[in-house]
Amino acid sequence: MTYSFVRYFIRLLILLVVQILLCNNIHLFGYATPLLITYVMISMEKGMGRISLLLWGFFTGLIYDMFSNTAGMASAGMTLLAMLQPDILSSFSSHDEEEHITPSIGSMGFWSYVLYVFACMFIVHAVFYMLDAFMLSNIRLTLLSTVTSTVLASVLAIFVDLVTHSSKD
Amino acid sequence: MRNLLDFLLNYKHWFLFICLECVSLIMLFSYNGYQKSVYFTTANGVVGYTYSLISSVTSYLNLQTENADLEAKNEILRRRVLALEEQLAEVKKDSVHISGLAPKYDIVSAQVIGATIHKSNNLFTINKGTADGVKEEMGVVSSNGVVGVVYLASAHYSIVIPLINRNSRVSCKLRGTQHFGTLTWNRGRADVADLVGIPRHAQAKKGDVVLTNGFSDIFPPGIPVGYVIGVKDSPDGIATDLRVALFTKFESIREVSVITNYSKPERRELENRADSLFNNNN
Repeated sequence: MTYSFVRYFIRLLILLVVQILLCNNIHLFGYATPLLITYVMISMEKGMGRISLLLWGFFTGLIYDMFSNTAGMASAGMTLLAMLQPDILSSFSSHDEEEHITPSIGSMGFWSYVLYVFACMFIVHAVFYMLDAFMLSNIRLTLLSTVTSTVLASVLAIFVDLVTHSSKD
Repeated sequence: MRNLLDFLLNYKHWFLFICLECVSLIMLFSYNGYQKSVYFTTANGVVGYTYSLISSVTSYLNLQTENADLEAKNEILRRRVLALEEQLAEVKKDSVHISGLAPKYDIVSAQVIGATIHKSNNLFTINKGTADGVKEEMGVVSSNGVVGVVYLASAHYSIVIPLINRNSRVSCKLRGTQHFGTLTWNRGRADVADLVGIPRHAQAKKGDVVLTNGFSDIFPPGIPVGYVIGVKDSPDGIATDLRVALFTKFESIREVSVITNYSKPERRELENRADSLFNNNN
């Protein structure tokens, strides 16, 4: 338990640095800014308690919000993802798998993992950009930002997964 | 009783979920209320310090272009100084100097240590705060023109609402005229804003320079903002809306100045009193 906590915490710190140094400066086509920090929640292992997931989600979002002046926007999205993550994960992974698998291409298969990452990223980005716009008049721009950022963040997350898991092998 | 306890224990994650979402939304809304969120933003000491560290490293990356920019600006200023000195010598021959007429204001130099340009509510963090004399609602300018207005100030850091924030409103006029309008920004490009409410008879055209008009006590009059790149009629047909290319390069901005003593408490008090009288009468 303590070991996983330390591992998740280190992962959070590394992703936070990458997020504020790199990802926050990406504005692809003027719309897409990936919230790669969502990878912290995506990589939470199956069978983790809901309460700890929710707390991880909320505080990961809160730390991002403090560094980006987006009070409440990322924490709302990440908390929602933390609530839904176990269900999304079990719907994309086969049932006969062992209890405590860590989501990755190796453990889930390529397409299941891609869909799982895309679904998670979409939830966080949709909440984030809707709270950012906070009105429906500019819905086209909000949707455009959500979709482009989701795709970009998913590609980056899969890249991170490939790098971290190939280095372990 | 036991059933109730069982119910609460079974659904405890739902209660936590609802609580955490409420906290998030409360933060989101209180962030629009003034001065309440200083601990959860980059004005917070630890976060501000982290950004200062990052910024001190990354600032070297842009030094070359910034130097070239400054050198070019120095050259223009040097020429202007020479020209003005000549003019001054010419004028001084038969004039009387009256002290106290020229507007005086102090500035505090600051560096931008954190910025967003891709959101609806972009905010900049600068490394000067109340300890340096920076307070809320002071104007922030750069060598190119207007940057924004201080929104929150902690002891050593402040958060600035730049022109490229959806809540930004700056009263501006066209150079050479007294026609004024309000400069606003809608999400999208970080180098273009809209000047709304310019009367049709002002006959604004492309290339006209937009300046601050000095109506508010935040910016002195005559600070450059941008130039007109597009003119169209406003939806009500009474005025024209102008697209304005901003002089300030928000993507690469680093050095800014805060105008610290332009604001007059006496004037603000008078305006507040007038407002409250008006509200009481209604």
